[in-house]
Amino acid sequence: MAQISESEIRRIAEQAIEKLGEHATKANIEKVVHETVDRLQNEKMSTPSETVKIPHQHKSGERVIVTAFGKNKIGILAGLTGCLAATNCDVIDLSQKILKEFFTIMLLIDITHSAETFESIKQKLIETGEKFDLKVVVQHEQIFKSMHRI
Amino acid sequence: MQIELAEILETIRMTEVEHFDIRTVTMGINLKDCTSDNLETLKRNIYEKITRTASEHVKTAKLVESQYGISIANKRISITPLSLVADGFHPEDFVEIATVMDKAASELGIDYLGGYSALVQKGFSKGDLNLIKSIPETLSSTKHICSSINVATTKAGINMDAVYLMAKIIKQTAEKTADRDGIGCAKLVVFANVPEDNPFIAGAFHGVSEPDIVVNVGISGPGVILKAVQESPESDFATLSDRIRRMAFKITRAGEFIGRKVAELQNIPFGIVDISLAPTPMPGDSIADIIKAMGIEDVGGAGTTAALALLNDAVKRGGLMASSHVGGMSGAFIPVSEDDGMIKAAEKGNITLEKLEAMTSVCSVGIDMVAVPGDTSAEVIAGLIADECAIGVTNNKTTAVRVIPVPGKSVGQAADYGGLLGIAPVMPISKLNNSNFIKRGGRIPAPAKGINN
Repeated sequence: MAQISESEIRRIAEQAIEKLGEHATKANIEKVVHETVDRLQNEKMSTPSETVKIPHQHKSGERVIVTAFGKNKIGILAGLTGCLAATNCDVIDLSQKILKEFFTIMLLIDITHSAETFESIKQKLIETGEKFDLKVVVQHEQIFKSMHRI
Repeated sequence: MQIELAEILETIRMTEVEHFDIRTVTMGINLKDCTSDNLETLKRNIYEKITRTASEHVKTAKLVESQYGISIANKRISITPLSLVADGFHPEDFVEIATVMDKAASELGIDYLGGYSALVQKGFSKGDLNLIKSIPETLSSTKHICSSINVATTKAGINMDAVYLMAKIIKQTAEKTADRDGIGCAKLVVFANVPEDNPFIAGAFHGVSEPDIVVNVGISGPGVILKAVQESPESDFATLSDRIRRMAFKITRAGEFIGRKVAELQNIPFGIVDISLAPTPMPGDSIADIIKAMGIEDVGGAGTTAALALLNDAVKRGGLMASSHVGGMSGAFIPVSEDDGMIKAAEKGNITLEKLEAMTSVCSVGIDMVAVPGDTSAEVIAGLIADECAIGVTNNKTTAVRVIPVPGKSVGQAADYGGLLGIAPVMPISKLNNSNFIKRGGRIPAPAKGINN
């Protein structure tokens, strides 16, 4: 039988209490929740390929930091930004350093308008990096704010 | 640009070079609503509650790992102490329940499940006693289940009957897993003043005052602190403390952020961040190495306890500034087998049990992951536990013992457990006869400082 997660059951119960208002007796709530859970389970069983999904993440205002390092080569910047353009990611800021032969670049990008998921953009950037022998790290900006700002 | 390149590179250096990771994201699950007087119903209730509640835990943790680029080494579950949930059942029933929980953990992809526990600082209920009796069988026949027993508190004193019983249980557990160097004992810890929101294994359980479900997080990061200490080779102690504090702030922030994200995505409240520095057997990810970098030839040398006290305090200062909800153990861990520098110091004989005991008075755990000769008597192990409890109870802090009397092995040999559990060199322990003391029985009264109202 398809599983309904604990958090979903809790949400159903909360909504039932709200809708029932003054009729929210223990028996009534139980009845509504049971009926809803049964219906949801039947729906889930009719689409067996669908597993319980992690709640959807909004992409609005999603800023991501791409860092790449390796030996300097011609075309690195073009390669990375080309990949970003192809996935419709907006480059907001860019900073790079070349120390002797060693190359480091950091790009701040906005992925809000990309049709692709974070995971897929990340994978494409890593693959692009591999062509230039670059190590590419892709992380949401929030982690840096959380670690480096009080 | 708000975030500077140097800050980004520092973060990446921490994760890629200095082994900074989140040691564990632990979901605490209340099982009080699973009770039944029918064993089959109880087993089904527990299995269903765990699998239903944690169905998205591993998946969510992996998603957060990928999005923020900080790895989460372990995804764990802690449950209400099982002695409360299954009070009234027989030892063999407890083993059956453990088997079902182990199955749930396997299916969910959970690394460890903690909460095969009882709180017996003042005495045993039937359920407590039966759970304790079942520990050797459970730990030898399951893979993911971890057990912890609290035998002392500052308020209640030390239950010496429980101390002695646990020493015998440790011996039996080692014998039951003799083919794997007594690995069952690595999943069994005896506590004084146990915290109820600890996310770290083997002592994790979901306390009775916790909400229905909660996510707690435990950080790691000795490698990051080591780097900070190495970069200040000659600075005075206040400056050294400041350097450590700054790094502790950053890693705690990262830990709390990751924990909150994992909780938020599953629509579960976030509990605490445990700011214990948890080492790994990887070179450089070691508490012992930090003490060495402070200027002591090897861990165990004179000054080691002071160095550890400074480290522990500096980490707390940074951690407390970084998070409003610091909890769990929150202090440096000094497990021998799980710390590369400790392993080497134990092999050379530089660190001894006596020095470890002194160190436990200024950090968070106690005699942790220490192998002793297989022929060590239960009374001597009980004495070791009682000593640790005395330190914890008298100083109003947590202490614990996770000791492995490795069957058939003696000083000079080692037990290799692999992975995060590492290699445990067998350490010498006093063989002096203490049985008249241990066999007195009863409780050591609570210290006067425990009566503080």
